[in-house]
Amino acid sequence: MLQIKNLVAGYNGMEILHGVDFNLNLGEIVAIIGPNGAGKSTLLKSIFNLCQIYSGEIFFKEKNITKLPTHTLIQEGISFVPQGKQIFPSLTVKENLEMGAFVMKDKELIKKNIDYVFKKFDFLKTHQNSYAMNLSGGQQQILAIARALIQDPELLLLDEPSLGLSPKAMKEVFDKIVEINKEGVSIIIVEQNAKQAIEIAHRTYILENGKVALEGTKEILKDNEKIKSIYFGGI
Amino acid sequence: MFFQLLINSLIAGAIYSLVAAGFSLIYSVCKFVHFAHGAVIAFGGYLLYLFFSSLKLSFGISVLLTVVCTSLLGFLMNLVVYKKLRQRKASNTIFLIAGFAILILFESLILIFWGADVKSIGLIKISKGIELGEAIITPLQVVIIFVSLLLLLLFFVFMKKTKIGKAMRAVADNKDVAEIVGISAEKIYSWSFIIGSVIAGIAGILVGLEQNLEPTMGTSLMVKGFTAAIVGGVESVPGAILGSFLLGFAENFGIWFLPSGYKDAIAFIVLFIFLLFKPRGILGIKR
Repeated sequence: MLQIKNLVAGYNGMEILHGVDFNLNLGEIVAIIGPNGAGKSTLLKSIFNLCQIYSGEIFFKEKNITKLPTHTLIQEGISFVPQGKQIFPSLTVKENLEMGAFVMKDKELIKKNIDYVFKKFDFLKTHQNSYAMNLSGGQQQILAIARALIQDPELLLLDEPSLGLSPKAMKEVFDKIVEINKEGVSIIIVEQNAKQAIEIAHRTYILENGKVALEGTKEILKDNEKIKSIYFGGI
Repeated sequence: MFFQLLINSLIAGAIYSLVAAGFSLIYSVCKFVHFAHGAVIAFGGYLLYLFFSSLKLSFGISVLLTVVCTSLLGFLMNLVVYKKLRQRKASNTIFLIAGFAILILFESLILIFWGADVKSIGLIKISKGIELGEAIITPLQVVIIFVSLLLLLLFFVFMKKTKIGKAMRAVADNKDVAEIVGISAEKIYSWSFIIGSVIAGIAGILVGLEQNLEPTMGTSLMVKGFTAAIVGGVESVPGAILGSFLLGFAENFGIWFLPSGYKDAIAFIVLFIFLLFKPRGILGIKR
C-alpha cells in the first residue's frame, strides 16, 4: 500500500534519514522504533510532507505522493496525528472534530463521520461542547486520533501516541489503535514505548542512525538476542 | 456628573473596544504586534472624508467604500510586508519595527494628501443632546455605542459559527496542528487582517464622525487600543474588549480627581501597572 524507496530527508539542510526503504501492506499495523534521534518521527513526517525530502520517492497505492501538499494527502486518504496530545485547546471538542474535516466539502459526510467517532468514543459525545483543554491527557490523545478519523483515512500515521500518558491511558489508546486497525485502517505508529508497539504491530522496523537496522514480525524480533536485551528485558 | 462620566466612559470604551478587538484578533492569530493597525483606522476616517465630504458620494456608499478600502489596506500590509518577513523567519522585534514603519509611512501619506490641519466630516450638524437626568448624550454618541456593540456581537457570531472564524481560532490555538488538518496558515493570516481591518475601518469612521480628523489619530488610538488589550489579555479578544471598557472608565472617572489634561497619562499609568504586575492581562492565557 505504501512504499518508500531510498529516502533521504531531514530539516534545514541537515540530513537525518540516509536512504531508508520502507513498505506497508494493506491492513497492517507497522511500528517504527529505535533510539532517540534515529529518525523515527522524520520518517513518519516525510510521508506527510512535514520535513524536507532531499531524494527518494514515496508511493501510496501505486501513486507517487512525494512532497504533495497536506490537503492533497488528506484527500488521498492519509491522516497524521502529531506527537504530544496535539489538539486545539480553546476550541470545543466538536469544533476540534470539525477542524479535522476542514478540507472536506461534503457536509453530510462530515456529519456522518462525526457521528461515527461519537459512537466509537462516547466521552467525545458527552463532552462535545466542553473546551478540549478540560479533557484528561488520554482523552486529548484520543480526540487527536478521532480528529484524524473524521478524514476517513485509509492510512493513519501516529507519532508517539503514548507520549506523556499514564499507564492506564496508554493501554486505552493502544486498545483503540488495534480496534481502528480491525475496521480496515492501515496504521504506521512511531513509538518510544517499543515493547507495547511491537506487541500490537504486525511488523516492526528498527531505525538506528537514520537507517533501517532491522525489520520483522514480533516473533522474529523476539528471537533476536540484541532486541531481546534492549526492548524485552529478559522475556 | 456621575452619569455624564458614565456615558463618556461607555463611548470611549466602545471606540477603544473596536480598536482593540481588531488588533487583538490579528495578534492572537498571527502572533505579532501589528502597530500599523492604527494607520488603517486613521485611513478609515480620512477615506470617509474623501468619499463623503470631498467627492460628495452618498453616506451609505461612502461607508461601504471606506470599509472595502481599509480591509484591502490591511490585506496588502500583510501580503507586501509581513508575509515577506515571515518567509525570512524575521524575529518579533523586526515585525514590531516594520509595524511602526508602516504606521509612520501612512501618517506621512495622510499629511501629503490631506495636510496637517484638522478636518471635520460634518455629517451631523451640531444637534441638541438628549438629556438623561443630569447627563447629556448626542444622538451620534448613541449610534456609536449601538454600532460598536452590534459589530462586536456580529464578530463573535462570526468567530463562533463560521468555518473561517473557527479556523482562525484553530490557527491562534495551534498553528502546526491547523496545518496538519489542511488549514493553510497563510490564508488564515490574510483573513485575520481582512476581518481586523474591517473593524478598524468602522472604528475610523465612528471616530471621524464623533471627533475631528488629524494625521496622528491612528497612533493615539493605537496606544489606547494596545493598552486596553494588555489590560484585558492581549491574546483574548473578549479580554481586549473588557480592557477597553475598563480603560474608558479609568480615564473618564480619573478626571474626577485630576485635571482633564491628564486623561492620556492615566492610560499610560494603567499600561505600566499591567506590564509590570500582570503582563498577561485579566483574561490572559497562562502558558
